[in-house]
Amino acid sequence: MPDFSLLLTHGIFHILAALITVVSIFVVASKHPVKSAVFLVIDLFLLAAVYASLDSHFVAAIQVLVYAGAILVLFLFVIMLLNLQPEQLRGLKFSVIESGTLLISLIGLLIMIFTSFRGVQTGLGDGTLDVQAIEAAGGNTYVVAIKLLTSYIWPFELASILILLSIVAAIVIAKKDKKVLTSSPSGQS
Amino acid sequence: MGLTANEFTVQFIGTLIKFAIVAGIALNIPPVMVWAERRIPAMMQRRKGPNRVGIFQFRIYGLMQSLADTIKLIFKEEVVPEGAHKAFYHLAPVFAVFPAFLIAMAIPYGPDIQVFGYTVPLSVIHVDVGFLFIFAVSSLAVYGVTIAGWASNNKYSLLGALRASGQMISYEIPLGMSLIPIVLIYGSLDLNKIVEAQTHVWTWGVFLSPISFVLFLISMFAETNRAPFDLAEAEGELVAGFHTEYTSAKFAAFFLGEYVSMFVLSCLASTVFFGGWQVPFFDVRSLDEMFGFVGVGALVGFMSLLLKAAFFMWVYVWVRWTVPRFRYDQLMNLGWKYMIPLGLINVVVTAVILAAVRF
Repeated sequence: MPDFSLLLTHGIFHILAALITVVSIFVVASKHPVKSAVFLVIDLFLLAAVYASLDSHFVAAIQVLVYAGAILVLFLFVIMLLNLQPEQLRGLKFSVIESGTLLISLIGLLIMIFTSFRGVQTGLGDGTLDVQAIEAAGGNTYVVAIKLLTSYIWPFELASILILLSIVAAIVIAKKDKKVLTSSPSGQS
Repeated sequence: MGLTANEFTVQFIGTLIKFAIVAGIALNIPPVMVWAERRIPAMMQRRKGPNRVGIFQFRIYGLMQSLADTIKLIFKEEVVPEGAHKAFYHLAPVFAVFPAFLIAMAIPYGPDIQVFGYTVPLSVIHVDVGFLFIFAVSSLAVYGVTIAGWASNNKYSLLGALRASGQMISYEIPLGMSLIPIVLIYGSLDLNKIVEAQTHVWTWGVFLSPISFVLFLISMFAETNRAPFDLAEAEGELVAGFHTEYTSAKFAAFFLGEYVSMFVLSCLASTVFFGGWQVPFFDVRSLDEMFGFVGVGALVGFMSLLLKAAFFMWVYVWVRWTVPRFRYDQLMNLGWKYMIPLGLINVVVTAVILAAVRF
């Protein structure tokens, strides 16, 4: 007797994969930045559907919640408020210092990832990372939570500190300089 | 997790039937609610409200008014403003309706039933991370509003959209925060398991975590852009906010999205805090054996959930006609300075108490 759910999963995966490819091409190819952002939302949503079809509902939900639901809303906001025109985009260039900083921080990030994740075991053993094994171990969310808060506790904490730092940095950049405000007479701008 | 052909058929047809029922209910919510939203305040203010429209002499308390309203809305002329982004302008109502319907599919409407020996869950999309699924999808509701406001090429629309999306993003945090204690208490992200854990009235979420319920109730109003937080469409300031430029069926689609998301959040509130399909002092699942017929318990449970949800819909209308509209800075202050800290404290206190009780 054929395994119907497996057949269905495979079929859905191929349809989703084709859709993701097409939408991804649209993300890069469309001239209007808002269009690109909306296609990116759809792309991330479809990617979450792929995760869901692999029975990892937790990752799928987090994918939509964080990327499609939060980060891209802010993307869309910025693009809409800046009201970018297609031709204005081509003028964007990085200076030498900017690209150098970017390169160094990328290398640092890679080193951090490699050192953090090296030697961490999945606990399930090789080749047994399938749906049945995860169900037997207590379900998707449970396994992810246990792994995240035991083996991966340092990368997890590092990431949260990094995010906290960037929040503080954003507030510092966005905050108005009080000295400038008080030294300039009111009514003059 | 291999399914046999028989089980696959049962689940597939079951899903289709469940989908049809849920979609049918969700589509019928707005007309009834539009009627209720005029009759309930009329009752509160000792007026009559719409009571004339009926079929011949059968007036049915003016319930046909909503049918007339719907027909009027759909047959109105459709005007697309000049300079609008055509594709996004037409797409925005879809984005507004889609998340609300998708969440409606994840609510458990009753206990699992046995059909031909197979267990069929009474939610269309049954995932073990029901909570996260609902939050993930509800966070997509922002796009409908944002894109609608931006694509209409109208300053009022854009301002309304910015307000609405800022509000929805801000209040998603206390909404999520308020549900973390519930997840901690019941130890599951599966909505059906949470309902099953609320067998006795004293194990209902509202008694175990009352602060969560208050936070959830307040964020519920903000998430759906309803009064007193309907700043996105404050008539005195923004004409009609993000849907200023929308007419006829597209305007109706925004209406549909708003009312369905109200219904969905009402269902969620009943599921999480008021025992979902459970009936107080009584186990619904024992009804099947009592009547000797499968599905009686599920039907009673379904009715129980709908009644609870109807109560919350009433609260929506009640609050709308009782509390005046907030100012935008007041709304943001309430959200960020009071509700989020309170939610965080609630999470920590619940976790500490649970740790003390369990060890």
